[in-house]
Amino acid sequence: MKWQYANNTEEYMNPGHLACPGCGGAYAMRLALKALGKNTIVVIPACCWSIIDGPFPLHCIKVPLYHTAFETAAVVASGIRAALEVKGKRDIEVLAFAGDGGTLDIGIQALSAVCERNDKIIYACYDNEAYMNTGIQRSSATPYGAWTTTTPREDFKKERKKNITEIIAAHRIPYVATASIGFPDDLIVKFKKAKEAKGTAFIHIFAPCPTGWRMAPELMITIAQLAVDCKIFPLYEVFDGVKYVINYQPKNIPVQEYLKLQGRFSHLTEEEIEIIQKEVDFNWELLVKKAKG
Amino acid sequence: MKKLDLKVKDYPELAISWETTLINKTGTWRTFYPKYFPKTPPCNYYCPANENIQKYIALSLKGEFEEAYFTILEKNPFPSITGRVCYHPCEIGCNRGNFDESIAIHAIERFLGDYGINFVESKRKIEKLTFDKKVAIIGSGPAGLSCAYYLLLKGVGVTIFEKESYPGGILFYGIPAYRLPKEIVKREVEKLTKRGAEFIFNKELGKDFSLDDLTKKYDAVFLAIGAQIEQELGVLNEDANGVLMGLDFLKAINLKRKIKYFGKNVLVIGGGNTAIDCARVALRKGAKVKILYRRTKEEMPAIREEVEEALKEGIEILFLTAPSKIIKDKKERVKGLECVKMKLSEEVDESGRRKPIPIKNSNFVIKCDTIIKAIGEKVDLAILPKEIIGKRTVLADEYGKTNIDKIFAGGDCVTGPKTVVEAIAYGRRAAYFILNYLKNFEIPKKESVSLVNYENLNTYYFEKQKRIEEDRLPVNKRKRNFKEIVATLTDQDVKYEAGRCFSCGVCNNCDNCYVFCPDLAVLKKNGEYEILYDYCKGCGVCAHECPRNVISMFFEEEK
Repeated sequence: MKWQYANNTEEYMNPGHLACPGCGGAYAMRLALKALGKNTIVVIPACCWSIIDGPFPLHCIKVPLYHTAFETAAVVASGIRAALEVKGKRDIEVLAFAGDGGTLDIGIQALSAVCERNDKIIYACYDNEAYMNTGIQRSSATPYGAWTTTTPREDFKKERKKNITEIIAAHRIPYVATASIGFPDDLIVKFKKAKEAKGTAFIHIFAPCPTGWRMAPELMITIAQLAVDCKIFPLYEVFDGVKYVINYQPKNIPVQEYLKLQGRFSHLTEEEIEIIQKEVDFNWELLVKKAKG
Repeated sequence: MKKLDLKVKDYPELAISWETTLINKTGTWRTFYPKYFPKTPPCNYYCPANENIQKYIALSLKGEFEEAYFTILEKNPFPSITGRVCYHPCEIGCNRGNFDESIAIHAIERFLGDYGINFVESKRKIEKLTFDKKVAIIGSGPAGLSCAYYLLLKGVGVTIFEKESYPGGILFYGIPAYRLPKEIVKREVEKLTKRGAEFIFNKELGKDFSLDDLTKKYDAVFLAIGAQIEQELGVLNEDANGVLMGLDFLKAINLKRKIKYFGKNVLVIGGGNTAIDCARVALRKGAKVKILYRRTKEEMPAIREEVEEALKEGIEILFLTAPSKIIKDKKERVKGLECVKMKLSEEVDESGRRKPIPIKNSNFVIKCDTIIKAIGEKVDLAILPKEIIGKRTVLADEYGKTNIDKIFAGGDCVTGPKTVVEAIAYGRRAAYFILNYLKNFEIPKKESVSLVNYENLNTYYFEKQKRIEEDRLPVNKRKRNFKEIVATLTDQDVKYEAGRCFSCGVCNNCDNCYVFCPDLAVLKKNGEYEILYDYCKGCGVCAHECPRNVISMFFEEEK
């Protein structure tokens, strides 16, 4: 494999940040900034990144970052865009960078409103499938079968993961995409496309959390690749809410291979794994149908 | 912290962080640390000559064929020969074999060897050296030639004694031209003559000169007489007319001598390379050929590809069949061979293979007029002094030192019948030792080995690609001629094949460690990487995502 963008040595982030070893979220930001460049303003609600960026007076990324309240990432970004408009500054990107809690649960109202107005911001959700920063509590992004501190093993999460990509796509904004940190070039390309979008762009990033997923930190990338190859997290784009494009043909690996590497799924029985496999296959078929149009 | 010349009223109404996280040395969190720790690729490890295969493949990929050629020459002076006839254990070890198909290393080596003799050797500078020491080398086979080459490079004169009238030993008269054209042997030998090697032909040890004569005249003597006597079958009527020795037969063909008692129905006995060569040569001479082997195909010591080619050419191999009696007519001419069927017993012999035992009353007769014996060669010990010989071979250590001062030995005469590449390797080691003996030359130290296994690789970043196949002469065009069967690859093909190499254990700047570090603790500068230990949290992503196992994780206390 030859890198096209990911090995570019321009970095907009400093080392010394406070993410756990093997943090998918920290890595997602590194890639996103590589794609967007220095003319970017980042807005962060309460999420892991509130910590990662460093305690006052430290700051890890090389562009302005605005900490804001949990539910307001999208709307603050949209406000910054409005202010930039007033000042006549058009070459600056505004990136709202929120976790799955701040997107799928707490921030969804503000996000939906921004999408409805089609404000020119990029909203990226780095999805680590639970409230990791506060101690691994379940979120609506937590998948079926997963252990969290609020869904213990004997009563693991029974509900399916909320499909945020579809929800946002239904707003018919110009650009919606899924991305995985296991595919850095693909992720960077998607941020570049988001930059060009005429209106709101939403990117759903799969960002493993070794701490919360109970797995070895060195597997961060591998697990992100496996999620795609097992079709659990397919890589695709939705243009204007209707045109679906699948970006990567998964290698069709059984979900078992993905689940067995993570402690949060270690309690699952074969029947439960079968349930997950069926759901994943069903979702994939649905997606393929949509992509065929 | 930066001193800021700001008054209270200048501060905005919200807290702003002015400082970077660079003061935050997250390296202290670490329990394990990553380190660039290059390892040994299996190809290099399994090469009897220890060629740096990974390196010359990487150079070939960049199109730097000349550099690649010189890389081989460090360990093997004759890549055009080994690229053609080596049994390439490198390819058996190749990790890519577990992924799709191993790299066609022999084909790349052959291309580079041919590239060398065609384009590099003519412009290669030859140092004018004065030979103050002289070494006599007995035998101009692969061991002798290889030893001579490395001695010459270091300014030691060599005189090579050869009992035939051509240099090359087994390379010239043993290996048939369809596998190794004579022209190639000649061009490889030129590397020595150009550097001042002296050849004395038609002089045989024990007949025309003795070891004593040489030790008086030379500073050292290197014995590389090979293993040339064909073993006896030990059956009745072995002296019948039409019973030929494998190597003698090949020699006669290669030297274009006429062979008495060579008929139309040939039986070759044996399962090694000599047997296969004899059979295919006899076929090219217009005979109908069968091979008898007392074990099964799996146990055959011959190179697998050669066996397959022989079968393709129409040679029949009778497995689990052993000779029991040669039948001759009144004129003492062979007219048939009585054979016995064998089965493999549970007992394992000294070669580690299951011992074949005859099945009672399974005898049958095959009609034939010629029988070629090729069940293995042994060393002619009768011509050597008692002090240096063992039961079957010459006694010498791995650097060729014998019990007599000034006398060194290597190749098949020490190891028993082995392969060309092993003899070349032995010749090189012996040359180093002789140089040490004569000129206090420092013998290169053996590198410590940490082998990369398939399990150590991260193959996610590789795609399946077909192995390159060399063009081969169609079977119907091989009759009654000795044209070379396999063709040399083109440079395009070589680059393609080199591109398939995993580069196990050796960094090839794929950038994965740089790309995937979540802590920005890997620096990339001018194609080199540096780990910032101040910040590396030791997550291990770089080591895990390195496709070729160059980075290893170590426990922090060990540092």
